[in-house]
Amino acid sequence: MIHRFATIGVALFLAASAVPGSAAELIRPIQERFAPEDVEEVPDFQRHVLPLMGRLGCNGRACHGSFQGRGGFRLSLFGYDFKMDHEALLKNDTKRVVRDNPDLSKILQKPTLAIPHKGGKRMDEESWQFRVLLRWIEGGAKSVDNPVAFEKLEVIPTEIQFQKPGETVQLQVIAHWADGTREDVTCITRYRTNDESIAEINETGLVTSKGMGDSHVVAFYDNGVAVTQVIMPVSDLVGAKYPNVATPTEIDRHIVTKLKKLGIVPSPVCSDAEFLRRVSLDMTGSLPTPAEVEAFLKDSSTTKREAKVDELLARPTYAAFWTSKLCDLSGASPKNLNVGMGGITNEMTRHFYEWIFKRVNSNMPYDELIAGMVLATSRKPGESYEDYIKAQTAYYRQKDPADFSDRETMPYFWTRRNLRTPDEKALGFSYTFLGVRLECAQCHKHPFDQWTQDDFKQFTAFFAPVTYGTAPDAREAVKKIRDEIGDPKKLGGQYQRILNTRVKEGKDVPWQELFINNNRRPGQGRPNQIKQAQGSRVITPKLLGGEEVVLSGTDDPRKPLMDWMRRKDNPYFAKAFINRVWAVYFGRGIINPPDDMNLANPPSNAALLDMLAEQFIDHGFDMKWLHRTIVLSDAYQRSWQTNDTNKLDERNFSHAIVRRLPAEALVDAVAQSTAGSADLDKAHGNVADRAIGATGSLAGARKGGSNYAAKVFGRSERETNCDCSASNEPNLLQSLYLQNDQETLAAIERRAGWLDERVVSAKSKRATLDSDEKAVALLTVQASALEKKIGALSDADKEKQLDKLQSQLKKTHEELATRRKRVEEAKGNVPAAFDADQVIVEAYERTLSRRPSSAETELARDYFRQAGDDAKGMRDLLWALLNTKEFITNH
Amino acid sequence: MAINDFCDGVRRRDFLRLGMIGGAGLTLADYLRRVEAGEVQTGKATSAIYIYLAGGPTHLDTFDLKPNAPKEYRGEFNPIATNAPGVEISEHLPKLAKCADKFAILRGVSHTLAAHDLGTKYMITGNRPLPSLDFPGVGAVVSKELSGLRDIPPFVAIPNTPQVAGFLGVEYTPFSTTSTPRPGQPFSVRGISIGRGLTIAEIEKRQNLLKGLDTTFRGFEKNSDLINGLDRFSQRAYDIISSPRSREAFDISRESPGITSLFGENTLSQSCLLATRLVEAGTRFVTLTYGGWDTHDQNFTKLKTKNLPELDDALAGLFTALDRKGLLEKTAVIVAGEFGRTPKINDRAGRDHYPRAMFTVMGGGGIKGGQVIGASDDKGTGPASGDGISPDNVIASLYHTLGIDFSKEYRTPTGRPVAIARYGNVVKELFS
Repeated sequence: MIHRFATIGVALFLAASAVPGSAAELIRPIQERFAPEDVEEVPDFQRHVLPLMGRLGCNGRACHGSFQGRGGFRLSLFGYDFKMDHEALLKNDTKRVVRDNPDLSKILQKPTLAIPHKGGKRMDEESWQFRVLLRWIEGGAKSVDNPVAFEKLEVIPTEIQFQKPGETVQLQVIAHWADGTREDVTCITRYRTNDESIAEINETGLVTSKGMGDSHVVAFYDNGVAVTQVIMPVSDLVGAKYPNVATPTEIDRHIVTKLKKLGIVPSPVCSDAEFLRRVSLDMTGSLPTPAEVEAFLKDSSTTKREAKVDELLARPTYAAFWTSKLCDLSGASPKNLNVGMGGITNEMTRHFYEWIFKRVNSNMPYDELIAGMVLATSRKPGESYEDYIKAQTAYYRQKDPADFSDRETMPYFWTRRNLRTPDEKALGFSYTFLGVRLECAQCHKHPFDQWTQDDFKQFTAFFAPVTYGTAPDAREAVKKIRDEIGDPKKLGGQYQRILNTRVKEGKDVPWQELFINNNRRPGQGRPNQIKQAQGSRVITPKLLGGEEVVLSGTDDPRKPLMDWMRRKDNPYFAKAFINRVWAVYFGRGIINPPDDMNLANPPSNAALLDMLAEQFIDHGFDMKWLHRTIVLSDAYQRSWQTNDTNKLDERNFSHAIVRRLPAEALVDAVAQSTAGSADLDKAHGNVADRAIGATGSLAGARKGGSNYAAKVFGRSERETNCDCSASNEPNLLQSLYLQNDQETLAAIERRAGWLDERVVSAKSKRATLDSDEKAVALLTVQASALEKKIGALSDADKEKQLDKLQSQLKKTHEELATRRKRVEEAKGNVPAAFDADQVIVEAYERTLSRRPSSAETELARDYFRQAGDDAKGMRDLLWALLNTKEFITNH
Repeated sequence: MAINDFCDGVRRRDFLRLGMIGGAGLTLADYLRRVEAGEVQTGKATSAIYIYLAGGPTHLDTFDLKPNAPKEYRGEFNPIATNAPGVEISEHLPKLAKCADKFAILRGVSHTLAAHDLGTKYMITGNRPLPSLDFPGVGAVVSKELSGLRDIPPFVAIPNTPQVAGFLGVEYTPFSTTSTPRPGQPFSVRGISIGRGLTIAEIEKRQNLLKGLDTTFRGFEKNSDLINGLDRFSQRAYDIISSPRSREAFDISRESPGITSLFGENTLSQSCLLATRLVEAGTRFVTLTYGGWDTHDQNFTKLKTKNLPELDDALAGLFTALDRKGLLEKTAVIVAGEFGRTPKINDRAGRDHYPRAMFTVMGGGGIKGGQVIGASDDKGTGPASGDGISPDNVIASLYHTLGIDFSKEYRTPTGRPVAIARYGNVVKELFS
């Protein structure tokens, strides 16, 4: 329930005899009430005058809503600053509103072009709009007095099913106020369509069908936002004609329910090879190995997909890939963590990662994991500053460092350099944990959501006491250590280096800390900072879309915030996470973009998201449950190949959407596809050197991989509050990188890589074996010749030659044994002679996770033949496969 | 009609459509009227070179000397006359002094961000940084706004740059060479140079193999922007690799001795030489990053032994070479860092961060050279009058030389309308 305190001119409202009806009745539209010339009603500033001005476009950003104003006249952007707007309208000497001679008011003369107006004509003289403004002025041009809460905006109908283009439906919009009054505000509501190719809506709320598909039209009045879903089937396969589509899971039931309305028939479930590649990449950011592909294809079990999913969820690559995502969201970057300890920011970033990794790996419930970040402080409860700095140094000393991930809480989210001010904290917090973008409301009423500037300020009040610096009880200790080190001002850049050295040596440094400074709490201490722009009003913390919170009972304002997030009725916390996970698996969120949960951007399938949220919470925020549930649906396993009904569908999950691999996965995939067999066998167990691993988050060169590539492919810099900081759009540099960068070419031909192992070193191993085998043959002949010779010796010769020949024979046997042994040993290890067909199959399995078709095999064989050089043939085949769209994408 | 009637008619679908004529209520008709009235000129430049002096170069010892200031301000260096009447610069820039007619000096450029990263972001985007917005660098905007040749990268950084594509998206990411050229030697550039003994014939062969094998999504391009995009970029990459244009442009050893001899042998000079070749071949935006200006100590020693001689060689070479090649009118050059440095010399003979007063050098692309625009006060502690010249106006002027309407609005991925240079205005004197 949204409670919104606004002030309503109740007195005027009741006094106006022309207002029909009682509180329970629906008040007629102001358009009708003000149609008669002799209307006596005086309209209300908040309920009528400002919405009308919004509707006329006056407070738009290109008009008087611009921060610079227009023609010296400025209104609050998208309304909602009643005080400012009223003052602007009544400002002395501007004649915008002339109470003693209303006709001369500029707000009547300008929009009717009675006098010139750069904004053009906005209304007719003697229109109902004109009369609303006129009567308001005649009634004294009053502002708002007594607050009445705006309760909700209702739009009728909430769903429209069109059959063909050109059909129309008129919306009715009703405002509900806390005093029980309900008014038809259709004529002073603003409208928008979310997709004009599906439905248009005009300024009076008339919806016109334009094309097939589904979208929403949105109504805005006061700070209410209400949506109507508009659907036009894309085929005649609706109702009884809809084919029988299996819905083995609850996810599928919700999705097919929507598809039925749309006449969209989903694609069939994909092949085993497609499934294995897709789920491996989506769940673990890694390609399957060729051995895994073969085993999976040969497995005849009917539950092999379930078994594979469980196997993947148990791998460290699962934990690494999703930790990397959580690090994207929470801003784990060396740049953000550079807070006066330059030398160890990489280590701090690693700790940020490892702390999360440990919890994802052990499948700690999501809410607990997040609480460990949200409620973090640098010191443990009851810990002294002296003990804290010892513990903190212990994590960063060179010798035998302590394990940071053992810490109960992880303070580095809050200590980020770009999360200094309460405003930045509020923006970062709502982005990371709630999937809500509040940026707009920092400066003006949010254009697409309910948030007003007051909402933002009240939410921000939770964060004012969250402090990173030196706590009051630590000042003396800090001074003592500083004195020991020397004056930072005098030492300049030297000071930093000394600190870093001391930390490495395990010595005390004056670490800053994250703590709650209750002197900065709203209503306490430093009143000037807290009162902000609100005049003398103290700002009460208020949950987003929730209630105000009295903080006096708690020592940490983040606790009620975290409690609120964990509540079953929280509209954001669980959904934001589910939706982001969903977006990784499907290429787009149920709400899309996934980090833009606002009222005007509703989910494409609300019932689906509600169901998942409810069950996720019922399962105790079990992340692995969520992953398993999603990928075991038919919806996730559908083919990317489309039919006539679903080829244009991108929001109802009727087929798989082809997506470019995430940067980290792509960098790792190039390395893995070209790796030698020993490295390949270890691929799923080793995350240390991977781009999805901790090292991938750090600045500077990375062993075995490339920061350049990750950057070019759009790895998140973790700098801005937007999921879009990680990009999977294609660009020119990516193509140059895969086609011709030395890194890619070198990866293919690297020492101990697959090509090297298969051709170069195989060749030399085979050559050795070859010569050994020849030697064995030769020595065998020599030995038997010697034996014959000895047998044929005459007695006379025996005396002279026997010893010599026998020693020769012995030597020959010895050499033969050595060579034989080498041959024995080598035979198990030396690769069979180069077999192009076998290499072609493996190359496909390494890169595309499938066997080649016969046409593909033929083409590749031809290439080998023409190349006439195994190494070159293999090099170019691998190169070509790495450059196929099938490799670069998940499908 | 309908929602379009509202001047704030912001719709979600519009978010995807970047680059509509917009800005402060500016309609296309308004814009055309302004063009007619001569308020908007079509730019003369078709390319730009941005030499970024990372670290924050001192203004007082380079292009804004104060010989009459007290000793603790003026520093060790003396001004010298240039070939432009009345224009004086540091004695350690003698070669530049001989071609001062080719560039203008902006003094009293001023802002308030004294941290390296913030000042940098301001100077390379023309927008004061906001935590909630990742503004694209000038080069990203230029490569988006000006179309270019298929077989050369539109936006090149030597060796790299703090400029990012920001909210424009990775398509406009700069191509970073990651290394710098050496005198007289062929320059190996990642992704473009052909190495590992490959021949063009082999590259063509493997490309044919790829064409034969890359068939899974054949016919699917029309349903997928991604597949279509991958095809487009892949083809363009192949064009760049297989055509000689880019390779030859990057190969500074192919330059004529007459031009090569204009430059010094240091890295910056050679990078400037490369920049002239790239611009000549059709690259739209080249940016060079040259550090070493964060002179908290030993300011004068560092400057006179390294930074200034190298800068002198490189810039004089650049302006002269562009002129000789007939490219100066078509190429806008800008030289700037993130801020100036404290007028008062500190006790380590250094100067510290100082954004209140700084300099920018601009030339080419229709900019009138041989003049000083703006001024700092007696001691170089701030603009001589008013707020001085803002970074917004500096960058807006750069866009202006290229004929880019910087009041044009983009939509960020979050749907926010943002003008190219939000508070920029042209510094008119540059063009008078």
